[in-house]
Amino acid sequence: MTHFLALILFSALVGVVFAALSSEHHDPASRVKYGLKVLGSFVGIGFLIAWALYFLPI
Amino acid sequence: MQSEEQSEKSLPNLGAAPVSHPEPVSLARTLAACVAALVLPGLGHLVLGRWARGAVIGLGIASMFGCGLWMQGRVFTPQPGDWLTWLFSFLDAGLGVPYFVCVTADIGVKIQAAAPTYEYGTNFIAVAGALNMLAMMDAYDIGIGRKA
Repeated sequence: MTHFLALILFSALVGVVFAALSSEHHDPASRVKYGLKVLGSFVGIGFLIAWALYFLPI
Repeated sequence: MQSEEQSEKSLPNLGAAPVSHPEPVSLARTLAACVAALVLPGLGHLVLGRWARGAVIGLGIASMFGCGLWMQGRVFTPQPGDWLTWLFSFLDAGLGVPYFVCVTADIGVKIQAAAPTYEYGTNFIAVAGALNMLAMMDAYDIGIGRKA
């Protein structure tokens, strides 16, 4: 299990539950789109934070 | 001076879909759904007849919890003098029966910090519990008719 795989798995599962709970998306297509958006946001922000930490002297 | 009714009639139709107000269910069924949601992930939505949503939520949260255990994450129990264990226990307890089964059967309760995925697994379990609390609130909103 790599860090990246854990990130993808976490993001996908949270995306699925968020899409199911969303009150602003009513049809399955828009829920799927929202779930993918959540997944992409988690992965993208994870990458940004990872690169920011890479340059910090910690 | 225009009355409120007249001003509503004069508003232009901008092509927006008509707002539908979902029917609330009885208070007993709403409470039953909330309790069921806290007992087992997805069960609250099944009580309300939202089969597909309940199945997706249940499978999603169960997968997350299962992955957390597979990654050798920790299922927390409250320890006196260590407030962080109380916070994580609260989150984990959001899973309902699976949490109490794990605590009773001593599954995942021991610290396995040597495992490389220990931290991930611990957070997967805590987030699964937090998501189930959100699912319970969603079931409540559906029950009182605030959400479709």
